[in-house]
Amino acid sequence: MLGAATRKEITALRDRYPHPRSAILPCLWAVQNEQGFLTVEGMTEVAEILHLAPSEVQAVSTFYSMYFQKPAGAHHVLICVNVSCALRGADDIVGHVERRLACPSGGTTADGAFTWESTVECLGACGGAPAMQVDHHFHENLTPDAVDALLDRLRSVPGAHAGAGAPPSGPHPPTAETPPLATAEGPPADDGRARAAGEVVAAPPTERAEMTGPRTGTTANPRGPRSKPRRRPRPSADDL
Amino acid sequence: MAADASPPTGADDGLVGITIDGKSTRVPKGSLVTDVATELGIHIPIYCSHPKMDPVAVCRMCLVHVEKMPKLQPACATYAADGMVVDTQRADVTKTREGMLEFLLLNHPLDCPVCDRGGECDLQDFAFRYGPPSSRFPITDKRHFNKAVVLSDRIELDQERCILCWRCTRYYDEITGEKELVLQERGVHTLINTFDGQPLTSVFQGNLPEICPVGALTHRQYRFKARPWDLQRAKSVCPECSYGCNINVDTRDFEVRRFASRDNPQVDDMWLCDRGRYSAESWNNVDRVRRPAVRRDGTVRDVSVSEAISSAARSLREVLDSSGAGSIAVMGSAQNTNEELWLLQRLARDVLGTPHIDHQLESFPGIGPAEHALAIADVEECSAVVVLGAEPEHEAPVLTLRLRKAATKRGVSVYRIDHDAGAEAIGELPAQGVIGVIADETHRDHAARLCAELGRSHDVRRLTITREVNGRGAKDVGVLPNSGPGYAGVGAGGKAGREILEAAAAGAIRALVVMGGSLWAGGAAELVERAAAKLDVLVVIDTRPGPLSRAATVLIPGHAYFEKAGTVTNTEGRVQRLRAALPPATQTPTETRVLSALAAELGAAGWPADPLHVHRELVAAIPAYGLAGNGGRADFLVAATA
Amino acid sequence: MAEHRLLTKNFGTEGLQTLAVYERLGGYQGLREAFQRFTPETLVDEVKASGLRGRGGAGFPTGMKWGFLPKDVFPRYLCCNADESEPGCFKDRKLIDENPHQLIEGLLIAAYALQVNVAFIYIRGEYFDQRLLLERCVEEARAAGHIGTDIHGSGFSCDVIVHGGAGAYICGEETALIDSLEGYRGQPRLKPPFPAIKGLYGKPTVVNNVETLSNLPHIVQRGGAWFKSIGTEKSAGTRLFCCSGHINRPGTYEMAMGTPIRELLEEECGGMWKDRSLKAFQPGGGSMQVLLPQHLDLALDMDAVQQAGSSLGAGAMVFMDETTCMVNVSMRLVDFYHHESCGKCAPCREGTYFESDLMHRLEAGACTSEELNTLADICDNMNGKCFCPLGDTATWFVMSAYKAFREEFDAHCGAGSCPVRSGAAQLVTA
Repeated sequence: MLGAATRKEITALRDRYPHPRSAILPCLWAVQNEQGFLTVEGMTEVAEILHLAPSEVQAVSTFYSMYFQKPAGAHHVLICVNVSCALRGADDIVGHVERRLACPSGGTTADGAFTWESTVECLGACGGAPAMQVDHHFHENLTPDAVDALLDRLRSVPGAHAGAGAPPSGPHPPTAETPPLATAEGPPADDGRARAAGEVVAAPPTERAEMTGPRTGTTANPRGPRSKPRRRPRPSADDL
Repeated sequence: MAADASPPTGADDGLVGITIDGKSTRVPKGSLVTDVATELGIHIPIYCSHPKMDPVAVCRMCLVHVEKMPKLQPACATYAADGMVVDTQRADVTKTREGMLEFLLLNHPLDCPVCDRGGECDLQDFAFRYGPPSSRFPITDKRHFNKAVVLSDRIELDQERCILCWRCTRYYDEITGEKELVLQERGVHTLINTFDGQPLTSVFQGNLPEICPVGALTHRQYRFKARPWDLQRAKSVCPECSYGCNINVDTRDFEVRRFASRDNPQVDDMWLCDRGRYSAESWNNVDRVRRPAVRRDGTVRDVSVSEAISSAARSLREVLDSSGAGSIAVMGSAQNTNEELWLLQRLARDVLGTPHIDHQLESFPGIGPAEHALAIADVEECSAVVVLGAEPEHEAPVLTLRLRKAATKRGVSVYRIDHDAGAEAIGELPAQGVIGVIADETHRDHAARLCAELGRSHDVRRLTITREVNGRGAKDVGVLPNSGPGYAGVGAGGKAGREILEAAAAGAIRALVVMGGSLWAGGAAELVERAAAKLDVLVVIDTRPGPLSRAATVLIPGHAYFEKAGTVTNTEGRVQRLRAALPPATQTPTETRVLSALAAELGAAGWPADPLHVHRELVAAIPAYGLAGNGGRADFLVAATA
Repeated sequence: MAEHRLLTKNFGTEGLQTLAVYERLGGYQGLREAFQRFTPETLVDEVKASGLRGRGGAGFPTGMKWGFLPKDVFPRYLCCNADESEPGCFKDRKLIDENPHQLIEGLLIAAYALQVNVAFIYIRGEYFDQRLLLERCVEEARAAGHIGTDIHGSGFSCDVIVHGGAGAYICGEETALIDSLEGYRGQPRLKPPFPAIKGLYGKPTVVNNVETLSNLPHIVQRGGAWFKSIGTEKSAGTRLFCCSGHINRPGTYEMAMGTPIRELLEEECGGMWKDRSLKAFQPGGGSMQVLLPQHLDLALDMDAVQQAGSSLGAGAMVFMDETTCMVNVSMRLVDFYHHESCGKCAPCREGTYFESDLMHRLEAGACTSEELNTLADICDNMNGKCFCPLGDTATWFVMSAYKAFREEFDAHCGAGSCPVRSGAAQLVTA
């Protein structure tokens, strides 16, 4: 069950728009802010309040890059590797982060502090390339040292997605008070959300980080099965 | 293209002139180019386009060249305009088709050898006709999804095979409104799925494998059972309810393998319900009455069919002479054909002279033709439709889809109220237009009262959802105690279904001829056994063993629904043909021949015997059926004034 | 030059993001003048006369777009497209960061001209702080009476809703933006019907870019004719150009249309870095064809650049020096479209996947030259065949780079690794 404050926020969002369905995106943010990712229950409740089928809500949620379908780390690091950032050393930053955090792009660190990924989705910080976002805040003109300092500082800061300080998720109603923020419960533990684990269908064996459809295990990319520019094993000239 | 191939224009008659590949025609404004091409006999390959759904133009297979437009246009989403000139054969069009097929096949698995769709697959067919001979994409790099995902006991999903034509998601959105299948993810990782992997619950799931152009959605019941070229196909009507959905019956090795839709826009509109569709295999391996038999002094003896008929005639003649026509009764069933029922009521009235005749146990007094004035397709033309209770849609589920179509695409207001609610439960009804009222057989009286109330200020038309596949036909041809063929009066009338059995159990009725009674006997087994124990003569013509066949003094095997030809009449009065899909499981001639022979033995010679000739006699006797023709509605109101 | 600082004029002023400072500098005077001196119809005419063209990439004349709304159909809707996601583009973010009220004022002026009572700002999900800033500014404006019922006694009422996306480049396409705003997956819709006739919630809708709207307070106050006098015949006014890549001073620069590109590069951006020379540049963001050093003499003019085979698009300039591998750049862009393809139509969904596969192998030196022909053919099968322009633009840069740098592409075939920088898949840095 979503917390009372979140339900209130979702209802207010619904009433803000000319048609309730338009509130889907900010309502999903409200769920992610409280629960750390889009839980099945959260999506079901959003559907109920917006008078939609849960399938419609999930269909929308999985289309967008920024929602987590599975639990994520406390902080989310997104490093741009599109052209402008790459021209100014983004790949070095990515390699550095990969070594420091000891997990590949799309993964979560062992201590649960960080989920990070490189992205081709231009973040709109090309003038300050190379750039990244941490918990949706821009950090530009990166150097490996600057990145280290930031990650070290954040390691001891609680996550922004759930807990006090999570920012409101949608347009403010013109006359109502700002809806109260999410509760300080933190993201649910992984095992509590391992709903899909029992339903895993054996994926065909591949050597790549191939997505295998929606029924993947909890160690998968929290964004769901879609992965970022995939690193294909480079076939040698002999293979061709 | 000839220089004078420009389309005729001018005249503001609501038509526009359009030319495709040099062929010109005039079509109504708002026609889609794909539909015009079909009319002209020009094939444009399509996947996402569907005759019952709005165009989406996502597969890009139908891209054609339209003069004066810089880019190729999707024919399925382009409306004919006056003077439009379309080319489907230009080099850029054919190259584009080949390119689109390469794209669609890029990540499509090479499953043909194990895919149920093989042989009736549009992807195979168009790839062969329009596509590249091979793919340039490295097979190692195809993306993979889950295969053989069990969505329910009926449907299996192979997410890899899906070409994302969106037909199944649009079906669930536009046609049923249940939204059980949706798109998830984005880009090349898009797939079809249910919410949180939950199973499908719709009663209309069985339509999914038919609308899916590939083998992504398949029937679990049919999985690995046959290739399309193994199947024999016969046109028929679904036997599960009175709605009369048109089906193709596909058999292999003399067993029914599946039902497929046969798209009658007047009735089913291309959709079947799961109860009807998946009843297909229940017609196989059924315990059957195989041989004629005669029971005398407690012993049962297998006999030839002519001996059985003679024995039946003798024993009926004996009861007639000693106790009179009033001690004989005749019962049919709502699963027999019109031709069989027609001869049965002739036997009762013309030969035996008895007024006691019925086709079901529930009584059905006072039917009038106005009760079926609302045709199924006319539901879409009403300004409002009132449905009494849940039964009409429970008994004929496909009605729900027609009502939904009327509401969402034609702006019809649909109200669902309790049987005994009055007009005040509905609120404000539109003043103009027709109000439709639909109820099932049991609640006819409520419907009649509501229609009388509404009829004071509105133009009201009724439809009663009758029971079983041919309940309506049985009533039309007069297998009723108080109504003759075409609802002609019959004087004092006779006993109805249950009354007949009660009278037999009490000894007032000594002889009973029953055809197809296994349909209803199971639901009144105790009464049937009591009646059978008391009857002197019980002539049973039937397919399935049961209380009637066990007690019969003369038993003649019947033919199953899929073993015979004839007509059945659906709830709105549409007379539709059945064709035999299976060879008979018994050596005995079909019911019409048996009845004709029995009549001859009873002194009435020269009856027609094969279903076609019986049909002609029936049609001559009931003008409304003559006017209905093949597949039309028998309208008794019109026939009365004709 | 000073007279060409319209949008960026007050950038850097302390507190410009607050209503008080914005109004002190003349803010919301344009809105008042719009009410006082114009009717909705005459205001549309004024914008037509100004020659203002859309700043989101397509460059469609704004006044003409406004004129498509049917006269007697209400309600209408206005959506500000703040979904800026074009690679290389960050000007809208800059406008919002620096002068959010300028956008809000422009939005309200447009709403008045179009007789819209509910205006949306659809801002991409990644612009998180920018969304919060806009929401705060909208509330400030509301409290001051610029938003609400009977604004300043004009009889005109308007509400503003700031709506955040959640990460999808395709939502910058106007029908996909509408689809997303309605609460669907954010995929483009069939045209016709066009949004001006049947858009948001089935009503007439106009979608305008952040920068386009930000020009309106200035056009109202100083006149359409004045705006038309700046720039060139077909490209009026100034535009913001986001400059990035191998230059000394990456950033956003406001330039009068008609200025030579060379001036932008050398004077504003400080020229190429590290004493290197220009190899190639993108004039209009990742979707547009590559241009070469000889094109630096082109004027910043939509038609001039179009005639040279590319487009100024969204005004995003990316400059690449001689160490850059054009195959690597093409690969990244192709990956971008593959990642952002909404998946609706087969040629884009599968074609970008095919392109991406090919480009990765090409970049690694593991492709054959036959496969380069395949790449060109794939692009030909995509271009002009997709449901929306995303699939088409997914082919433009790579095909233009292939044509302009043919030997470089050929040299990758079977080379075993990138011949430009021998080895690593990274674009060069220090």
